[in-house]
Amino acid sequence: MSCEDVRPRLTGYLDGELDADRGSVVRGHLRECAACRQVATDEAALRDGLRQLPHVDPPPSLWAGVQARLAEAEVADARRPAWRRALTRWLPSAPRFAAGTLVAATAVGVLWWRSQRGPDGDVATQPEPTAIATAPTTPRMSQTHVVVASDRGEPDVTADLAGEAGRVTASYGDAAEELLALAGEVRGQWTEEQRTAFDARVAELRGTIASAADGHPRQRAWRDLIRYLQNAVVRDEIAFAGGGQ
Amino acid sequence: MSELVETVPSVPPPSLAEPRPRVAAALADDAQLIEACRRGEARAMEVLYHQYKRRVFGMAHRIVGASDAEEVAQEVFVRIFRALERFRGDSALSTWIYRLTVNASLSHLAKRGRRHEVGDDSLGELPAPPALERDHGLAARIEAGLAQLPPGYRAILVLHDVEGLSHEECAQILECRVGTCKSQLHKARARMREILGPDIHGERGGKDRA
Repeated sequence: MSCEDVRPRLTGYLDGELDADRGSVVRGHLRECAACRQVATDEAALRDGLRQLPHVDPPPSLWAGVQARLAEAEVADARRPAWRRALTRWLPSAPRFAAGTLVAATAVGVLWWRSQRGPDGDVATQPEPTAIATAPTTPRMSQTHVVVASDRGEPDVTADLAGEAGRVTASYGDAAEELLALAGEVRGQWTEEQRTAFDARVAELRGTIASAADGHPRQRAWRDLIRYLQNAVVRDEIAFAGGGQ
Repeated sequence: MSELVETVPSVPPPSLAEPRPRVAAALADDAQLIEACRRGEARAMEVLYHQYKRRVFGMAHRIVGASDAEEVAQEVFVRIFRALERFRGDSALSTWIYRLTVNASLSHLAKRGRRHEVGDDSLGELPAPPALERDHGLAARIEAGLAQLPPGYRAILVLHDVEGLSHEECAQILECRVGTCKSQLHKARARMREILGPDIHGERGGKDRA
């Protein structure tokens, strides 16, 4: 077996996916071929290195961000007109509904056309059947829904949801305060230049938060501040891990 | 000949391969969790989040890079909770979540028009302590190598080698055939070997080979 035959099988061999016969052939080739052996050794080292990569922990702000975006989405849902909500529910089955509508419209069209044929097979002089063939493809039910929902005067649930979004956003502030406290504990290890740069950047990011519009822009600004603080704190940890150099 | 025989065992035989961590949760537990989330139970949603946060964030982190990982992970969890109602259980919950994560990550990269992570802008704003310039070992070199791979290769390497999923699971997640998955993994590892070169064995190995 040549190197060209063996190389594509090395991945399967190293992962234990070859049967005994094929595995034996590859192993035999590796005993004799230094080049393939080196490739196999490299790939095994790479595979082991990938398997041993450490977990990447998500930042503490992730869950707050998810909740905030879910709340935003629910607020948007609640503010969306009823007909659009109905359309959204209907859309996943739209292809089947459209196909069904087309078949039904065609069948009705054919029946109508046959009913208009005279005894000799000619089409009677009647209005064109285009009105039926181009029947509306959107469900009539959703149009009715609009009128009913908008006239019903339902309680405005969006106010509560908007408040919820605000409460969730406030948790960004808590996360930032915790990180600021951590940064305060380690800033003594920084140079004067680093402390000045840090203070200036934090002030700038706080300004951005204050001036950002409510909702997503302000949450993005909070995330920028949190990410910056995380970098600052983690960087310091790395410095300590290396002996504080 | 005896020298050859002695060197061959340095290639780990399949029988010595460490067992892979399995990520699929018990189906019954998943079903209960899904039902509770569908009912809007906040506690269940939090349990699901904590159960998958590392996998989702880790995948996103390694595919889109550190600076965008949180945004992508948020997007994934929002999609999970919003689409859970339509989850039909055709695949394991973990497979579905991995698929959402890979798709969201690759879509994010496509939108940004970036082929690889170019670094966290905010990092440049804080003066770098000297410790950052040290060699952090094989893991750091592999992470750096991953960032240089095309996104598709990154995805298969993370799914199979980092997360420890089988070819069948990877194929379900990437919506391709098992054979395609295997050949992509082979190509991805080959590209990684090219990128890492002698560094793959660490500084000592590199010097030995040089």
